[in-house]
Amino acid sequence: MISRVRHRILHRLQLRESWMIFFIMGIIMLNFPFLHIFNKSDSVFGFPLLFLYFTVGWAVSIAVIYLFTLSVNQNNSGRHEKKEP
Amino acid sequence: MKTGLASAAVISLSYTLLIFLVAWYAHHRKMSGRSIVGNPYIYSLSIAVYCTSWTFYGSVGKAATTGIDFLMIYLGPSLTAFSWFFILRRMVQISKENNITSIADFISLRYGKSAWLGALVTLIAILGIMPYIALQIKAVSTSFYLISGFQGNSFRIPHGDSELSVPSGFLLAVILSVFSVIFGARRLVSSERHEGLVAAVAFESLVKLASILGVGIFVTYQLFDGFSDIFTRFQALHPEKFTQLFTLSSANNNPEAIPSFTMLFLSMGAVMLLPRQFHIMVIENSDERHITKAMWMFPVYLFLINLFVMPIALGGILSTGSSAGADFFVISIPLTTGHPGIAMLAFLGGLSAAAGMVIVESVAISTMLLNHIFMPVIVRFPPQAWFPLLLINLKRLGIFLVIFLGYFYYRIVGDSFMLVNMGMISFSAAAQFLPAMLGALYWRRGNKTGAITGILFGFLIWFYTLLIPSFSHSGWISRELLASGPFGLGLLKPTAMFGLTGMDMWSHSLFWSMLFNISGYIICSILLRQDESERDQVRKFIGIFEVERRQYHSIEAKRLSKPVTITQFVSLMTKFIGEAEAQRAIESYRGTRELDADGNVSEFELPNLKRFTEKSLAGSVGAAAAGAIVDSFLSDMGSRMESVYDIFSTVRTSLDQSRESLFVRLKASEIINRTLDLQIIMDDLLKLLLKEFRLDAAIVQLKAEDGSFSVRSYQGTNRRPINEQHWFLESMPYCRKALSDRKAHFVNDVGLVPQETLEKTIAEGILSCAYIPIFREGEPSLGVMSVFSKSISGLFTEEFISLLASLTGQFAQAVTIVQEIEARDHERKQKEQALLNNARVLRDMEIAQQIQLSFLPETAPELFGIEMGGRCISAAHVGGDYYDFFRRDEQTVDLLIADVSGHSVGAALVMSEVRTLLRAQVNSSHNASSILQSLNSQLYDDLTRAELFITMFYAKYNASTGRLSYANAGHNHPMISRKGLAACIELDAEGLILGVKQSVIFEERIIELQKGDVVLFYTDGLTEATSQEGEMFEKERVCSLLGRFYHLPVKEIIDSFYQAVAEFTGSTTLQDDISIVVLKII
Repeated sequence: MISRVRHRILHRLQLRESWMIFFIMGIIMLNFPFLHIFNKSDSVFGFPLLFLYFTVGWAVSIAVIYLFTLSVNQNNSGRHEKKEP
Repeated sequence: MKTGLASAAVISLSYTLLIFLVAWYAHHRKMSGRSIVGNPYIYSLSIAVYCTSWTFYGSVGKAATTGIDFLMIYLGPSLTAFSWFFILRRMVQISKENNITSIADFISLRYGKSAWLGALVTLIAILGIMPYIALQIKAVSTSFYLISGFQGNSFRIPHGDSELSVPSGFLLAVILSVFSVIFGARRLVSSERHEGLVAAVAFESLVKLASILGVGIFVTYQLFDGFSDIFTRFQALHPEKFTQLFTLSSANNNPEAIPSFTMLFLSMGAVMLLPRQFHIMVIENSDERHITKAMWMFPVYLFLINLFVMPIALGGILSTGSSAGADFFVISIPLTTGHPGIAMLAFLGGLSAAAGMVIVESVAISTMLLNHIFMPVIVRFPPQAWFPLLLINLKRLGIFLVIFLGYFYYRIVGDSFMLVNMGMISFSAAAQFLPAMLGALYWRRGNKTGAITGILFGFLIWFYTLLIPSFSHSGWISRELLASGPFGLGLLKPTAMFGLTGMDMWSHSLFWSMLFNISGYIICSILLRQDESERDQVRKFIGIFEVERRQYHSIEAKRLSKPVTITQFVSLMTKFIGEAEAQRAIESYRGTRELDADGNVSEFELPNLKRFTEKSLAGSVGAAAAGAIVDSFLSDMGSRMESVYDIFSTVRTSLDQSRESLFVRLKASEIINRTLDLQIIMDDLLKLLLKEFRLDAAIVQLKAEDGSFSVRSYQGTNRRPINEQHWFLESMPYCRKALSDRKAHFVNDVGLVPQETLEKTIAEGILSCAYIPIFREGEPSLGVMSVFSKSISGLFTEEFISLLASLTGQFAQAVTIVQEIEARDHERKQKEQALLNNARVLRDMEIAQQIQLSFLPETAPELFGIEMGGRCISAAHVGGDYYDFFRRDEQTVDLLIADVSGHSVGAALVMSEVRTLLRAQVNSSHNASSILQSLNSQLYDDLTRAELFITMFYAKYNASTGRLSYANAGHNHPMISRKGLAACIELDAEGLILGVKQSVIFEERIIELQKGDVVLFYTDGLTEATSQEGEMFEKERVCSLLGRFYHLPVKEIIDSFYQAVAEFTGSTTLQDDISIVVLKII
């Protein structure tokens, strides 16, 4: 089950369009409307809200890139396997 | 607490030594073929050269003053990493393809190797990077001051009575310059990867990460109690400051603040476009697969290095009480809390960050400086032997220049700016490359004028709105300019252009420079056309991915008007990159190519060789300069690149086979399939060529079967009969050569071959000609097709020749088919003739048979008291069997039966001779033996000559006496069936076969026949008849049959025997002639 979900996610990520979407999403998240939401001096669990937003969002974006590179590798290795016989 | 000057200096020096060791080790490993640098981890770490002392010191300073927005500088690159899989990979592929040496090289190459563009980009890079290098020098000298406790800005060295004062920043600049020269400018070839440099940079990245993590953990967990502890304590102590730092500020509440979008945009551009980033990511990339890993490892690095920035900044404010001197909290916190070891670690981290950046940046920019500023000047002079030495020293000079420009900027602007804000000036400069760069990769129409206009406008605005104000901040330029604009023109105030106020100076500059940059680029690109060299490059840059898919190999549409040898190219390269490099380059070129006997390349290969030379030179001097060098070299040689007459017009970019080529092939195959008449095919084919390719004469010569070689078709204007004076005869050596080696030979410019060989051809006005052999693959050539052009020299390109060759191939097919059909026709006719002849012979033979049969007696003579009959059935048309009766008188009759060996016509002739001779003796009264004797002597010569023999049985019967006298010449013994006698009587007498000996004595015997006796004379065909089981008819069977048939009349006896033989053999045709003669005594 988990491997199937993982496989489907990786497959989706192979699309160039999904990359443009993530890129644009990143730019939107780092601009006025979203930043405005978190642009408050509140704290959550002792962490300033904006600090938390940046740190967690950044970590998530890195994870997304990591998944993408995985899917690229999978795609490439798949192609190589096909070439072999 | 300070560590003291001496220990700080010693530690710095030993750390420097360590870095050298790392670099040396990497270089050593590379030399021994086991590179440690060629892996994605080192690659990712080296990209982290992005994090300079700005990151190391400046981020904390920024965090402590304006708050969390410092993160934008790192979120931007992290976001850009999303696009690396497409953009960076493409940049790396193009750079490897073209031996690109720097970002200026990359941009100028895309826009038609424009020297102006390269120079402009270089200029911007040098000026733009000035504040950035100044930042590093400032950071390192300040931190050195902090760590060593050294006072003032200069070292004082006792020097006789006076003191020599050396500013510490100056000393640092010198050290860094020497460092950079050693790492990056030992050799000239700058497209080659510097493994030592990369290893050192990667090592430094590791050190600065470890160092800042160390300081961060120390501050967060040693001085305080984790993240939330710092945050809550800070919030409690400085609630106002807390709000300011953890919300994004705008220019309204803080004049130092830069809007987050500006920082995001600038950093996204900078991570790709700063010369050192481009150098590390593109030029030093060893394998494009590393990019995939770097895409997430580099963001992880950025994440880690920034994780503790906020806690350190807050901790610093908490422990010192204010944000003053926040740029150096990383060192000052451990120092004030009494941890000099940690402070030293931080200092080394900062040193690493600064040194790595300065080295890579200065190497990258000095390469640009050499290739795009110095080289265009140098190439105007004739190449000299000492050029390689000059070039490498110019490059070293460039490194010093770049670093010292930074140093002077630091001296002028000095402490009036915070670290980060200085860096932003450089980022803004790098951003000016962005439109031209993205356009280079994705916009086909982007052209040179657009790129130059855009970059120039952007640069001027950057210079005016950012660089000049930065000087005036420090009071170097009068403040009046800032306050009221030049000449009091308020609209042109550098920080409020056209009355745009209320923006911080970075956003303001970014807005105006990008506006003019992008619009200049787009407008000029749309309004103006690209020239040809630009279109070539567009194909390389943007078409490169289509290339991968279609495996389309680019066709060189240029040729050299005068051939140049390899040696000449080598000596040219030697003058710029030194002999060893030149030899190495040409070896690698030669390895893969076919060379002719003189060690030269073919005419088609020459443009490739030229391009290769350019590429090799480009690795050292940049593409634009390399192009200029090779072009000026060629023009000195009297040669130039000229456009090949484009026979296939436009379509070649999208199809391997152009439409025209396909059309001609189609037409040709129509012509060939329409008819089997070679003459029509040849004429039409040549007419097609003349019409489609505007040739002026075309000739087909074919080899005939007897080996002669003659003109079979001649088409073209101004035709004259081909006689001894005809100009075409001068081409015969070429034709014969083409015929024998089955290769196309062509002369693209008759002016270049020795005058006398094609004198008349030249007089005829022919400019170029080609001779294409007509042959099928793997077979000898059938002829040669020659084509001549009077209008175009250089007509025969590789693709045109291959088209012609494929046409002659098709034609050869047709010739072969026609020849085969002719051969088959010929064979059929021969067969018919043979059949006809055969039939004639057959008819003759039938006639002969008739004649021969007529030689045999039609009926036997009738004689009282006896009944006789005989018949001969021959197996072939004519045979050698013979029997006859001669009636001597009323009482006497002669019977004879003979067999001439063989069934040939010869046998038949001999038989007729025998008959003639016997008939002549009819009236003589010789007995049987003497008749045989004389016959033998008469026939002997003829028989010997014809190698034939005759067996004969001759008998004489006298009815009055009832005696049968007989003689035998080797014939089968006749049989007598007598009433009351079970067995048969065989008649035998001594005697040799006729034709064996000249004279033979024959025995004569006599037997008295009784009434009712039946005498059977036969030839060996009867007894030797063979059944299907292989059994012979044999005498016994003959005898018993004779006993059974002997009461029958003579004619029926003969019929019965033939019937018996037919039944026995099971066939109606005979194997041999069978003759039977029966004599019955009544």
